[in-house]
Amino acid sequence: MEATTFERAPMIAITALRVLVGWHFLYEGLTKLTAPSWTAAGYLKQAKGPLAESFRWLTTRPDLLANADLITMWGLTIVGVCLILGLFTRLASLAGIGFILLFYLAAPPFIGYFYAIPSEGSYLIINKNLVELSALVVILLTRSGRFAGIDRIVHVVIRRRRPQLAGA
Amino acid sequence: MADEDDKRKGEIPTAPGAPPKLGRRDLLMGLSTVPALGLFGYAWSRQQQYRRGRAAAAAATPAAAADLQEINVALLGAGAQGQVLMEAMLRIPGVRFRAVCDIWTEYNLRRVVNTLKRFKQEPNGYADYREMLDKEKELDAVIVATPDFWHAQHTSAALKAGKHVYCEKEMSNTLEGARSMVLAQRETGKLLQIGHQRRSNPRYLHCYHKLLGEAKLLGRIVTVNGQWNRAVAPDLGAPDRYAIPEATLKQYGFKDMHQFRNWRWYKGLGGGPIVDLGSHQIDIYNWFLGAPPSGVMASGGLLYHDPKTHEWHDTVMVVYDYDTPAGPAKAYYQTQTTNGSQGYYESFMGDQGTLIISESELNYAGQLYRDPNAPAWDDWIQKRYVSAPKEQEAKEQSESGAVADVRESVAPDQHTVPVSLRDPYHQPHLQNFFDAIRGKAALNCPAEIGYESAVSVLKVNDAIDAKCRLPFKPEDFKV
Amino acid sequence: MRADTPDLDGGIGLAGPRELGDLRRFSHEAMNTVFEVYAANADAHYAAQAAQAAFALVDRLEGELSRFRPNSDISRINHLTPGESARVGEAALECLLIARHLYDLTDGAFDVAIGTGLPSLEIDADTFLIRATGDGVLVDLGGIGKGYAVDLMAELLEDWGLDRAFVHAGFSSALALESPADCDGWPLTLSDPAERSRVLARLSMRQTALSASGVRKGDHILDPRTGTPVRGRQAAWVALPRPGAATPAGHGLRLAPAAVADALTTAFMVLRVEESAALCARSPGLEAWLLPDGASPGTAELIHFSGPAIAPAIDARETRDSGP
Repeated sequence: MEATTFERAPMIAITALRVLVGWHFLYEGLTKLTAPSWTAAGYLKQAKGPLAESFRWLTTRPDLLANADLITMWGLTIVGVCLILGLFTRLASLAGIGFILLFYLAAPPFIGYFYAIPSEGSYLIINKNLVELSALVVILLTRSGRFAGIDRIVHVVIRRRRPQLAGA
Repeated sequence: MADEDDKRKGEIPTAPGAPPKLGRRDLLMGLSTVPALGLFGYAWSRQQQYRRGRAAAAAATPAAAADLQEINVALLGAGAQGQVLMEAMLRIPGVRFRAVCDIWTEYNLRRVVNTLKRFKQEPNGYADYREMLDKEKELDAVIVATPDFWHAQHTSAALKAGKHVYCEKEMSNTLEGARSMVLAQRETGKLLQIGHQRRSNPRYLHCYHKLLGEAKLLGRIVTVNGQWNRAVAPDLGAPDRYAIPEATLKQYGFKDMHQFRNWRWYKGLGGGPIVDLGSHQIDIYNWFLGAPPSGVMASGGLLYHDPKTHEWHDTVMVVYDYDTPAGPAKAYYQTQTTNGSQGYYESFMGDQGTLIISESELNYAGQLYRDPNAPAWDDWIQKRYVSAPKEQEAKEQSESGAVADVRESVAPDQHTVPVSLRDPYHQPHLQNFFDAIRGKAALNCPAEIGYESAVSVLKVNDAIDAKCRLPFKPEDFKV
Repeated sequence: MRADTPDLDGGIGLAGPRELGDLRRFSHEAMNTVFEVYAANADAHYAAQAAQAAFALVDRLEGELSRFRPNSDISRINHLTPGESARVGEAALECLLIARHLYDLTDGAFDVAIGTGLPSLEIDADTFLIRATGDGVLVDLGGIGKGYAVDLMAELLEDWGLDRAFVHAGFSSALALESPADCDGWPLTLSDPAERSRVLARLSMRQTALSASGVRKGDHILDPRTGTPVRGRQAAWVALPRPGAATPAGHGLRLAPAAVADALTTAFMVLRVEESAALCARSPGLEAWLLPDGASPGTAELIHFSGPAIAPAIDARETRDSGP
């Protein structure tokens, strides 16, 4: 098993970061789940940027759109819960990065783009999506779940059950 | 290898190579973030509770209607405005129509009675108002929507018969008439509401109390502008087969059918567009400025319409002087009936901001502009007194992809009044009248206030004739 | 006076022979289209006043029925929370009853709520209360409202004694009263929306409501049952006879053939040809024309259905009995 060395203070900070990002995802996911008939159609129709065509095409296929909506709603919720609890943190971080990347590409904040649904905080090429994305990258790379999260329990339990994984 | 921390904390020592034990520290650290999930759940359920509470409150209102004291009303005047008021009242719970009175028995009276029957109301129809007041025993209130020159007589008769009265504006086409109504109200002690319905409009109330009264967003209002522009329209006609007999028309003060339908244009019956239309808005001027005018100057004439069928001015331009509590102010008002551009609105201009408002929920529904030198409105936006500004974006966006500057403002930021009316325009004012009858509210436009507006408006036609500035004395507005 | 009046929205045209010399024509913008009154054999001034009264009526109806007016009856319904009720006026109630009846009749092909749950609105015709049992219902009386306005305008013109008249809203909803003197009926044409000069049918109508629904370039009509765009239909027209004289006052619900025709044309754009044919067969007096997609513009063939003759069965009175 690889060495997992954690420095206390930075890891606490990163755990806090993980919980906050997870909270955000969970909120986004739950509000969509509990809102009557939420659909991404509005955002997709106004997509701009390199993938705009594909996003718009998706709105013309209601069956695919329904699946995309489901994946988004549940995906955000599950990623949020996992991040807060520190469960399967790396997977969750990866999934989160994927979601944010899609959202970012659907509405890249380049100069000259205007959106009917106003997006918060656009700062030339960077926007809050990008900042959150990099937060997830940090969470991914530092395996915060192992430090303070259910992953820690899981990790220990696995190491118990498979002694051959221990060592080295 | 064990974690450095664990070693430091002196956790369960394990032999090298042996499987690690799930220690207390692991469990603790592992579950350390679960409370965050708990906190989320708590906050979420609180929000859902709040939402459900709001929905329940909204759904609860019909139940309140059941124990509402029913008010018996008579509609005196079933013409265009009478029908508008009827439509509004049909949407107010607890109103029972006992009688409808109109001299046009074959057309308006019959249609209104039949409409009310479809709504399961069983009103009696009358042509003569005195007969109605005599015969209807269970009457609480009378709604007067007859031509202006009848208002005084109808209102006084109803008040003296012991009924509360809601009388359409203008109070009367003469000062004496208006004065007699105030005296009758004082004498009988009954309620008299004058139909300046903007006084109960939630948007206007919000502007008056919150924006002008509390936040003083406009600073000191120094100038006011207002207009009601209407496009050319043919005279009102009537279906041939329902013509009223000449004798009846003459009995009630009309020369012929044409005058009956177009009374507003005739001297002695109405006051022309300045009274029909200006009444409403000049009343708002007085209200928002907090004082009646101190002088008036006006110019008007019949510039376009046929003098044989139009006795009053079709175009009027007025300038009022005001001595407001905050200082002197001037107000301009115009009304015309040859062009309808920009319809109707009032615009209040202060040194710190501008408010443009109209009764319409569609046009000029309440726009506010902050003067750049005024203090920020952030606090008021937080309190939802006024909306966040909608930044005006550059109009030019070429299709070819040429990029324009993102945030070029072409106009000052526009705020809106975040209050809207979901009911017919006259409903809140009628509701206020009925609430006052039930003892639950004070009238928003009682007779004395209506009188001030009547004085302000009726003087305009005098000023046009006098061709000079006419002053007002404070006593002029009191009865 | 032009002999041929151009189409506006629908593929209906009024082709006037030049003998209609004293035809008075009045226009008014409302409900996002142009309403027109044509009065034959009438005094110009009197007809102008009658038309003005009719247009004032249209404006009042727009104020009650338009979902774009924040304080209309329909806007109030669209903002109800589950369990909340709203009291509405006659116009809104009658339109909703007609809408509900046709929703049931066409199995949801005609849906003023476009799939957001029309059945979840409880309509109480006695108390004029509309109660929302669900959330998110959005009613749009777009098509049916214009037809309803046309019906009421026709009644008003008859009240004024202008029996020989033709009323329409953007030519997508029209109603012919009595024909001009010396004519059997008002001369109307149905043309191909893709090629306006191509006249598909010539009709001569009196006391009939005629409605048109068409797809303009780039538009999509959504099937409320599936949410997908409709394919294979270019235009549909429906004609419904106007029952007898105007109902005597106080007789109950008003009969509104133009409103019903309006709704049916929208339904026929969505229903399959067999379903449309079946509906026509069950409805005495109903006549319909369908224009399916052709191989290339201007080649489509008109399909014509008519129901069994005699008295009309689809009228608003039925809707009252079959309320929820």
